[in-house]
Amino acid sequence: MDLVTIEGKWAFNYTYFAGESASRFFHELRENQRIMGTRCTKCKRLLVPARAYCDTCMAPTDEWKEVGPEGTLETFTIITTAFPGLPAPPIVMAYVTLDGADTALINLVHGLDLSDIEAAAQKLNTLPRVRVKFVDEPKGRITDFSFELI
Amino acid sequence: MVNVDGVYIEGAAIELSWADSRRNLMELIYDTVSKAVDDAGQGYDGIDSVVLAAQDLVDGRSLSSMVTAPAAGAYLRDEVRYSDDGAGAFAAAVARIEAGESERTIVAAWGRASEHDVEELSRSLFDRIFMAPLGLEELHVSALNAQRWRIDGGDDGAAAAAQARRGAAARANPRALHAGGRRSTPAYPLRDEHLPLWADAVAAVVISGKPSGVKLRGMGLSSEPYWLGDRGLAQAPALRRAAERALAEAKLDVGDIDLFEIDGMTLYDEAIALEAIGLAPKGQGMRALAENPRCNPSGGSAAGYGVPAMGLARIVEATLQLQGRAGTIQQGKPRTALASGLSVTAAQTHTVIILEAA
Repeated sequence: MDLVTIEGKWAFNYTYFAGESASRFFHELRENQRIMGTRCTKCKRLLVPARAYCDTCMAPTDEWKEVGPEGTLETFTIITTAFPGLPAPPIVMAYVTLDGADTALINLVHGLDLSDIEAAAQKLNTLPRVRVKFVDEPKGRITDFSFELI
Repeated sequence: MVNVDGVYIEGAAIELSWADSRRNLMELIYDTVSKAVDDAGQGYDGIDSVVLAAQDLVDGRSLSSMVTAPAAGAYLRDEVRYSDDGAGAFAAAVARIEAGESERTIVAAWGRASEHDVEELSRSLFDRIFMAPLGLEELHVSALNAQRWRIDGGDDGAAAAAQARRGAAARANPRALHAGGRRSTPAYPLRDEHLPLWADAVAAVVISGKPSGVKLRGMGLSSEPYWLGDRGLAQAPALRRAAERALAEAKLDVGDIDLFEIDGMTLYDEAIALEAIGLAPKGQGMRALAENPRCNPSGGSAAGYGVPAMGLARIVEATLQLQGRAGTIQQGKPRTALASGLSVTAAQTHTVIILEAA
């Protein structure tokens, strides 16, 4: 007796509302090529990416402030699988605390020779300084920028 | 704080399998829940509720508990579905017994990795606005944490020995997945052997307020911030808090605990968790995993991994150890055990359960 398997696929469409804070964050990326954070009214940390509230303090944010464009790498991984819209692997994904920010921001790190993964990792292990690099035509998305080693 | 004195585990069961086309998901659930009820030895008499840990995306069925809950014994009973890890569902079931809402409860959790693309599903869990466009997966977060742990001076020299020990434990575990399963592609610094063995997992227990084989001594739950960049990388502060709460409730020190069943997706996650619960000093979690046979004698994620069942799986393994029924991986006669579970979205929520041989 053949045991039956049934193929299945979910393909629902959604339209996600980014909200005012995220929209302004993306607007700043596209129009001014700068990364913005918002300050928690309670703990006073500058949270990046900008957001409407601090979920640690459950308090609203108020002040908007530009961070970076330089910062310090906090940790990284090197990914060897492909993902649509991203460069061909291997790619470096890292958390970076931009100057002036109190939280880390994740994105790709470009400009590193990845022909020798271990050698690249040793370089990143030193927690190097990095700089934000914008794409030529920002679209107001998180993929508008990446980091490069200084 | 909930007073959890007086809740007992009557019966427990777990099954790890892979792509068994002879049984559909509901039949897998039915089999393991039936074993847990049989293990409790009183049939369905007095069981008035079921608390389930299951997720629609994992199950590939919207409102999946409509389909699956009856297989877990929900017919004409109060049913609650907890869309998080199985250890959290266990805690919710305990709270209901303590509140007098239930007297005897089935807790069940499952995840069938062979029915879906684990990586695709993982990417779908992340925030759609800031993180999903970067293709983030659960495993990438584990890799980021592992690398931060290494940067902070974690004793990575013990990784090979830790992996060898947990691999041997998984091979010896009669309940582990011994054929089939699959592994994802590792992201640096992780390697194949550090990764979970994806499996079809079902775990179930029967709990009540009547004295039985294993007694609950304490439990604690805690959550990380949503934003990954806000978290203490490689420190697991929410797990630390959950363990502190559970130990305080149990009136025990971590040094009093005889056995640990810790949930972590990768070898490094397990090592970091041992530091967070206070068993190992900072940077020494891998060494503890390598040298302490009381840490994850089941083999942890190497024995088979199917979210969101893993927290309850750890509770089942700890229960069997406390009852001297763990078989070839039995670790003497432990009196106390600590089990933990974490949520699938980058370990945002943690549950710690402390059990005692009754």
